[in-house]
Amino acid sequence: MNLSFRHISKSFGQLSVLENLSLEVAAGEFVALVGPSGSGKSTILHLAAGLEPSSSGLIEAGGSKITGASPERTLVFQEHALYPWLTLERNVALAREFQGLKRKEALKEAQHWLSQVQLDGFEHYYPHQVSGGMRQRAALARAFIARPKLLLLDEPFGALDALTRMALQDVLLQLIEAQKLTVMLVTHDVDEALYLTSRILVFSQRPAQCLADIEIGKNHAERDPAVYAEERQEILSLLGIRQTNPLQQNSKEFSYA
Amino acid sequence: MIHKPPVQTNFGVKGASSAGKRHVQQLASRLRLRTWGPYLLASLAIFLIWQLAAFALPAFLMPDIPLVFKRLGRELSNPVFVEQIVGSLSRLAVGYGAAILLGTLLGLASGTSGLLRSTLKALVVILQSIPSIAWVPLFLILMGFGNAPIMVVVAIAAFFPTALSVMNATESVQKTHLQAGRVMGANRWQLMRFVYAPAVTPELITGAQVAFGNAWRALISAEMIVGFGAGIGRSLAYSGEIADMPGVLMGILVIAILAAIIDQLILEGAKRKLLRYRYS
Repeated sequence: MNLSFRHISKSFGQLSVLENLSLEVAAGEFVALVGPSGSGKSTILHLAAGLEPSSSGLIEAGGSKITGASPERTLVFQEHALYPWLTLERNVALAREFQGLKRKEALKEAQHWLSQVQLDGFEHYYPHQVSGGMRQRAALARAFIARPKLLLLDEPFGALDALTRMALQDVLLQLIEAQKLTVMLVTHDVDEALYLTSRILVFSQRPAQCLADIEIGKNHAERDPAVYAEERQEILSLLGIRQTNPLQQNSKEFSYA
Repeated sequence: MIHKPPVQTNFGVKGASSAGKRHVQQLASRLRLRTWGPYLLASLAIFLIWQLAAFALPAFLMPDIPLVFKRLGRELSNPVFVEQIVGSLSRLAVGYGAAILLGTLLGLASGTSGLLRSTLKALVVILQSIPSIAWVPLFLILMGFGNAPIMVVVAIAAFFPTALSVMNATESVQKTHLQAGRVMGANRWQLMRFVYAPAVTPELITGAQVAFGNAWRALISAEMIVGFGAGIGRSLAYSGEIADMPGVLMGILVIAILAAIIDQLILEGAKRKLLRYRYS
């Protein structure tokens, strides 16, 4: 499902978050939105999800105007947003129940998706009984069970430790590979954006303007590490960051002296 | 080649070992003693004062504890006494039940509409200062001598704490929980049923417990004033009129014991059942 923002402005009261922003995402693309905190990236996702109307401009998904939330365009939140009063299985099944499926069948599908995110055996646990990484796995299962065409990820792994984050990034890549989805990911982590996506949009401070549109291509395995380092450096400098950590610069001549 | 140890799939889930369970059980029983201990002490203090007063005063003014308990034991097999208890509890059930239902529905509805919310809040401010018993003459004249005015007064007493707590809880339902529901395609009714209702349940139960205290006090006082049908309040008032002190003290005792049973067994039980996700 392609997505297009045409001359979008959005303000909350006096605060103008987006001003005359236009962007196009083609069907099947995996796009990362990178930018400083509070630059309006999450607002872009909320607009695309149909959770909020834009103040002006036109947003289209799959060729038709977005007027409200729809399970075709699903959103994964930073803080999992699972319901604490439901078991993981029921949380995941609920997405299908809302679409009119009988609970019994919804639970059967939930079983399948929980095993896709390696949560077999944890169906009957409540969210507070499992780790943060497992909660976010369940949140991914809940997003995928609804068979969305557009997946919106709002810093989905931002609250996780580095190892858990890496494990979940791979889970996500596998799920997306099998589904051929259009994905939009908001992240603070430049490495995450470079690892997961095929295109990176770098945003300015509020009101968000697109500073750079970097095509990376899909075939991550064949990429040249030198190009990777170059792109990383370019994005960081656009964000106003000058890192001096030699381990993270892929430099050949660092020393510990 | 790297040797891989067998994959551990427990992902660090909390507690599960039998030793851990035993420890939790021990802790639970100690906690139970800690909550019940003070109640036991307080009850003993009341009984002590009562018994001391009984020593000091003649028996027709202050009968002692054994006498009153003997009377209670005898009354338990008396169909008239049983009828009084059943009468009071059924008035409570209707009035309190209606208040919980109406309070929950209005509380939920007002959480989603600003106008309804501010109106309901103003209503609470205006009406809450009126003691529920002050409504008795009004409803007695309006509805006539019978069960209805008592049940209405009980409902008024229980309505406000219920509606207020549900309303506040509805306002503070987590935004992401609602957004998640909408993104999954929930309609208005599904949001109510699957998101709002379970989210406000903890506060609803707290409100219902406060409401029960109000309802119980209103019930006994209304029964004492209206004097219709069989009821604990009416029987207590009657014992007072004929200066039957053992009957008066027994009435007070029954009121306290029934309230404790309803609160601790029924309401606490409902809380543990409805909020079992918190205790598991």
